[in-house]
Amino acid sequence: MKRIEVKLSLPVVAPLLDVIRGLADDLAHHPAVASPQAGADAEMDEAWAGELVASQKSDVATLLALFGEEFFTDAVVYFDPTNAEAIARACSAVRLRLREKHLRGIADELLEAGEVQVSELEEPVRKAFMCYLFLATIQDLIIQHLDQSIVGS
Amino acid sequence: MNPAQAKSSPLSQPQAETELQLQRTWRVVVLNDPVNLMSYVVVVFKKVFGFNEDTARKHMLEVHERGRSIVWIGLREPAEAYAFTLQQWHLTAILEPDEAH
Repeated sequence: MKRIEVKLSLPVVAPLLDVIRGLADDLAHHPAVASPQAGADAEMDEAWAGELVASQKSDVATLLALFGEEFFTDAVVYFDPTNAEAIARACSAVRLRLREKHLRGIADELLEAGEVQVSELEEPVRKAFMCYLFLATIQDLIIQHLDQSIVGS
Repeated sequence: MNPAQAKSSPLSQPQAETELQLQRTWRVVVLNDPVNLMSYVVVVFKKVFGFNEDTARKHMLEVHERGRSIVWIGLREPAEAYAFTLQQWHLTAILEPDEAH
């Protein structure tokens, strides 16, 4: 089984984990992407959203599990076919929520093109944006190294 | 509609409408968002629809450049299942009736 280990900088990553934990509770109750067709059938919408939230909650728990007690000892995280899918999805959910809660002031075009000047951002937006980039890096690593295990599973 | 025919129909009107909805074809459309990485969207398309790399990239670029891409056309039930799976991956997916059929 392919497994990748990534050594992270503890002083850089630890504050970003607080941002992720701060959004995890919200993501345990509300879908990261609101259904664009909600409203036609309230009962169906509720069931649909409930299932989405349950899967999202489980994915975010898998992401946070990377940063348990052991991480604060060796600063290493591990990705393999058993957690890659859930973590890739969780990164997407948290990034979407970060944008909604903290990065609304950044234009979509800048965000999409990656042309945001970090030095011009003020706290707490700067920290939220660093977290947004950190999660994109994790997703990228998983896609580069474990793409086949996701697609083939 | 002839009222006599309606009265003798084995299906009530709402049931008949539901039947029609289930029989017509629907499009699964993915809408653009500024957050998800292009490489992530490609992987999701490969995973969910079994697309090869070229097809997945073509749809991803269509979403990115035109704001939307029709990724699947078919009956309502599987279309809903695909839209749900895409939303589990946090892509914005909607269903539209396929006017061509």
